[in-house]
Amino acid sequence: MPEKAYQNLLEEGMDRGLVWRGRDDRPQGDAVESSGWPVLDECIGGGWPKGALSELLSRHRLGLSLLLPGLARLSREGRWLGWVAPPHLPFAPGLVQAGVALDRLLLVREVDARERLWAAEQLLKSGRCSMVLLWPQTLRDPQIRRLQLAAEQGDCIGVLFRPLRVAAQPSPAALRLRLLPSPLGMDVEVLKRRHGWGGRHCTVRVA
Amino acid sequence: MHWLGLYFPDLPLEVFVRGQSLEGPLAVTARQGGQICILRCNEAARKLGIRAGQPLQAALALAGELRSWPRDLAREEEALQALAQWAWQFSSLITFEPSLLLLEIGASLRLFGGIDALLQRILDELPLLGYSGRWATAPNPTAAGLLARVAPGSRVTTREALVARLERIPLARLTRDAEARALLNDIGLGSIGDVLGLPRAELARRLGPGLLQLLDRLLGEAPDPRPPWQPPPRFEQAIELPAEVENGAALIFPARRLLLSLCGFLRGQGAATQRLHWWLEYREERPPNEIEQGLLRPTRDPEHLLARFRERLERVTLAAPVIRLGLRVDDCLPYAECSGDWLNGTGAEAEGDILERLATRLGEQRLGGLRGRPDYRPERAVVIAPMEEGGEQPLLRGRLPLWLLHPPRPLRTADGVPQHAGPLELLRHSQRIESGWWDGEDAARDYYLARNPAGERLWVFRDRRDGRWFLHGLFD
Repeated sequence: MPEKAYQNLLEEGMDRGLVWRGRDDRPQGDAVESSGWPVLDECIGGGWPKGALSELLSRHRLGLSLLLPGLARLSREGRWLGWVAPPHLPFAPGLVQAGVALDRLLLVREVDARERLWAAEQLLKSGRCSMVLLWPQTLRDPQIRRLQLAAEQGDCIGVLFRPLRVAAQPSPAALRLRLLPSPLGMDVEVLKRRHGWGGRHCTVRVA
Repeated sequence: MHWLGLYFPDLPLEVFVRGQSLEGPLAVTARQGGQICILRCNEAARKLGIRAGQPLQAALALAGELRSWPRDLAREEEALQALAQWAWQFSSLITFEPSLLLLEIGASLRLFGGIDALLQRILDELPLLGYSGRWATAPNPTAAGLLARVAPGSRVTTREALVARLERIPLARLTRDAEARALLNDIGLGSIGDVLGLPRAELARRLGPGLLQLLDRLLGEAPDPRPPWQPPPRFEQAIELPAEVENGAALIFPARRLLLSLCGFLRGQGAATQRLHWWLEYREERPPNEIEQGLLRPTRDPEHLLARFRERLERVTLAAPVIRLGLRVDDCLPYAECSGDWLNGTGAEAEGDILERLATRLGEQRLGGLRGRPDYRPERAVVIAPMEEGGEQPLLRGRLPLWLLHPPRPLRTADGVPQHAGPLELLRHSQRIESGWWDGEDAARDYYLARNPAGERLWVFRDRRDGRWFLHGLFD
């Protein structure tokens, strides 16, 4: 097998979370922001990876509740929280109840597929946002890589809300979680994480 | 006093062509003795043998592709006014002579770090504005103007040096007034030095009072009062586009020139701006296209403004070829130096920058902050507002969802049970809302936390007036 093919295979393996990359990964990739849910932190290697993308896959592109403790903390730290193309109107009183300070929240709405990606990239790499949430339309691999790069550049936690069906496609995101609502809260399955294997499960009592 | 004379010999041509970088021979004509002659031309025309003073017919015979415009004095006057607005950042005492700008710079030398630094700055920026200037400095405005015209590059600070500098200058160049020049030619004196050697009484007899006074002013022996120019309260300039522009990218070049001029004007006022009005004039008889450009913070950085304009242009469709680009700024705001450092060691400017970039490209209405409002009706308890607006504490209590569906989505019922991807299980009565009778949008609703068979948690209500069910929120 030629070297290039090995390279591709290795990359795909990494994208699928099949290759454990040991402790010698890029050092900035190690920084995490605690999710505020101990059981989840334990599953995902300490928290949301900083300077990287996380993907939340669910039937109706949910998962915001998992982010709330982190959003609440980051909303008091000065940098912006960017929300690009949320599917519904975020309910301000509900967010306030969850401890989120609204004045650092930046909404980008009514934008088409191209503008969403552009806006998300700008926010991710600006260095002015601690977290950027993006509800994308279909995403291709190079686009995800670009966003990943932007997140690294801006030291930002990028979160993509994507449908369940993309679980089978590999992705360069650092963390991928599959979410299912359950009577106890939210069932979380780790599809991929840095420095570790996927496959772990936990239930977060979001409700 | 320390005066800087800036002479613009090519102004008659530049007013027509500075909007674009044009190739080929270009000229401005004027009527001389009954025929149209070349007044100024560019380098490309000179290479083809075209010279000032040549009849236009002869010039066209040399170069059929010559583009020419009849001289427009009003436009030159406008251009000098515009230059003065830009130059206001360097001097607060400005006056004019034809094709000449005279600036008192003694007071601003320290501010700009000395004469060399100041000159450098001025000479660097002039070509960017689309003008080529010649300069000289002298202790009085008359001398600064004369030297800029006839001995550009002179730097004179003392009277002795001034006399030495003036001595060899031909007397005929003392003035541009035709009648006085004829007189000077007739009196048989060669240079200004020759005149200075004459006794004053004879000088008065031979030159007449007008020229004598001019000479006195030149040497600083008579007061040289100049009406000080005052900048207009608002900025408004336009630039001609001699080659009609059909795509937006070609507007960047003239836009940069207008913005440089604007930023000089703003610096001179100690001001910045947050709102620009651009207009595009079309060749055909169409109304001009007005473009409003808002910024999140006051600024006076031309590159920043240009980047925003470039992005704004992407959303503009040109209705026809553009022949003129204009820029107006009505509101000048006090400029606050970027205080910086309130966020992670970098300036607030950079933060405004990203927000502005988004607002410019996407439109301000697509960018917003989320604000709470003190209203019990959920649809009125949240609003998307401009980023700078503040919010109020929401009144709603009880378990609240993260997402609001607006308007509420009616739910089908089966056997009295509301359905949403299957029958809903009502987990908890969450709140009763009776509100809004005072503004005619009264609501009488019972809200419940509900769950569907897929396990999704929903916020539903029953309208107590007609018993219908609605989905109003998602718990996620």
